[in-house]
Amino acid sequence: MRIPLHRLAVYGVAFVFAIVVNFLVPRLMPGSPVDGMIAQLGPRATPAAIEAIKARFGAVEQPMWVQFLDYLKGLATLDLGVSVKYYPQTVVEVLGRSAGWTAFLVLTAIIFSLCIGTTLGALSAWRRGGRLDTVVSPLSIMMIAIPPVVIAVATLFTFGVALRWFPVGYAYNPNLDPGLNFTFFGSVFLHAIMPVLTLSPYLIGEFQTTMRTSMISVLGEDYVTMGRAKGLSETAVMFGYAARNALLPVLTNLALMLGAVFGGSIVTEIVFNYPGLGLTLYTASVARDYPVIQGQLLLMTFATLSANLLVDLIYGVVDPRIREART
Amino acid sequence: MNSGIKVLLRQKKAMVGLVIVVALCLMALFAPIIAPNDPGARVGRSHQAPSIQHVLGTTKMGRDVYSQFVWGARSSLAVGFATGILITVLGTCIGLAGGYFGGRTDNTLDILTNAVLVIPNIPLLILLASFAGTVGPWAIMTIIALTSWPWGARMTRSQTLALRNREFVVAARMVGEPNWRIVFVEIVPNLLPLIALNLVGSIIYAIVAQTTLEYLGFGDPLNVTWGTMLYNAQNSSAIIVGAWWDIAVPCAGIVLVGLGLSLLNFTFDEIANPQLRSGPALKRWLRLNRQRVRMLEANQ
Repeated sequence: MRIPLHRLAVYGVAFVFAIVVNFLVPRLMPGSPVDGMIAQLGPRATPAAIEAIKARFGAVEQPMWVQFLDYLKGLATLDLGVSVKYYPQTVVEVLGRSAGWTAFLVLTAIIFSLCIGTTLGALSAWRRGGRLDTVVSPLSIMMIAIPPVVIAVATLFTFGVALRWFPVGYAYNPNLDPGLNFTFFGSVFLHAIMPVLTLSPYLIGEFQTTMRTSMISVLGEDYVTMGRAKGLSETAVMFGYAARNALLPVLTNLALMLGAVFGGSIVTEIVFNYPGLGLTLYTASVARDYPVIQGQLLLMTFATLSANLLVDLIYGVVDPRIREART
Repeated sequence: MNSGIKVLLRQKKAMVGLVIVVALCLMALFAPIIAPNDPGARVGRSHQAPSIQHVLGTTKMGRDVYSQFVWGARSSLAVGFATGILITVLGTCIGLAGGYFGGRTDNTLDILTNAVLVIPNIPLLILLASFAGTVGPWAIMTIIALTSWPWGARMTRSQTLALRNREFVVAARMVGEPNWRIVFVEIVPNLLPLIALNLVGSIIYAIVAQTTLEYLGFGDPLNVTWGTMLYNAQNSSAIIVGAWWDIAVPCAGIVLVGLGLSLLNFTFDEIANPQLRSGPALKRWLRLNRQRVRMLEANQ
């Protein structure tokens, strides 16, 4: 099982692009960010720290390509620099602390929405023009058009402030000690409900739309007719024959949407004060903590690329047409 | 395309969407008439609930929310529409070039398209915006356009690929028409529903991205938009003190545009992919079928 060279080229170009943007932007922008960062460090600025920042942001007397090689060397050893705001913590430490929460939030929202969205999509394609279809399909397209900011703020106001159903900040009750017990998990669950519900409308909308489109084209295939001709029940044909195959394009779309989901999670985490990557990015951007902002872009690009690569691999295993073509 | 416009007018959804969008645009256009007060002026006490003097209440700074809403529509809609157009032009050109010329051009452009597609947009936008400091509407436009053309380019490319070997294109090529003429006279007219779909989707995306950036505080704070209204409301903790009007009004504006545009988009989608159609077309077909059956029965 191989991944086509073309796809690998795409991922390579994307990753190189992210690295080059990270390297060039601070060097091309008018005004050097270095002085600001050293000022931000204040009394904590040791000569070593100042040197490191200068080297990273191009305030050294070296030709561009030497700087770039140094930069690449740093990346290869997972050295993303030190955080200015949380000095002496490194960027990797700062991001590592929050990456888990974002992964938890995003994955929960994706799984939740995948179940609801694809089921709705399959059902509305099955009875096209039916009551469900005429209500759900336009609704899905609308949900994609509403910015996460609006949903987050509305959810926070309604369920957090007015009704007081859910806690309005943090990932768990700060009075609890994190541990493997029921109270802690309960608290984590309760605190995740509003952020997950905020991320879901967009995802459900996307999944429903893609699933419906893909299901409609699958319904025209011979094997669906065959299933019907065999006298199988409606549900057996719908789920066992059609929906199973219609899921593949949804997977591709999911991997491509991941970037947008990260965008949504940034806003959601800020509104709900949830200690994930988004909140870290926000505090970093307010504090002009450029190394963290850069590390964030690399990490999120890497996550999106990995997801796409994973989908390519899954495709090869799941879709017999591709499996056959490659062997 | 004529039939496309007819389908559009027949669809109730599209009409509702069109009315919403046009109404908001008119509101923005005639802002000086319907909201004659300066949106930046302090006209009342902090966070007053909606009343007769201030129909939509006041902000933390004592500014009139109604005036801000009406004037904010200007920048939000103008930047949204302009960015949407820019994204569509970029995406369509790149998609057309790749799909029509094929070969190495297509390969390069396709790799580029997919590469930009997988880079997460919002973190990239935040990186660019935070190095640039606060960014004005022009910078927001450029940044959003440069990072979000690939969806359109992909759609356009695959459609162009399907069209380039059709008889009428091959015929035009054999007659010796120049490439630009084949692309713009033979191919583009067939892509119009798709381009419309792309345009509306891009405007929606641009408004979402612009609001997000401004909400995060990267907009120009002196420029009144729905995004900066939300940013100010968030910073004055309007949610916690229960000043719902301060939050709800800009949200309503953004939701209304999104609603109107997506209703339009739903219809464009059905025109571009007739396969997806569920409403009138399907009914028409069923009606025709029924008539045919009835005629057959009558003949017997």
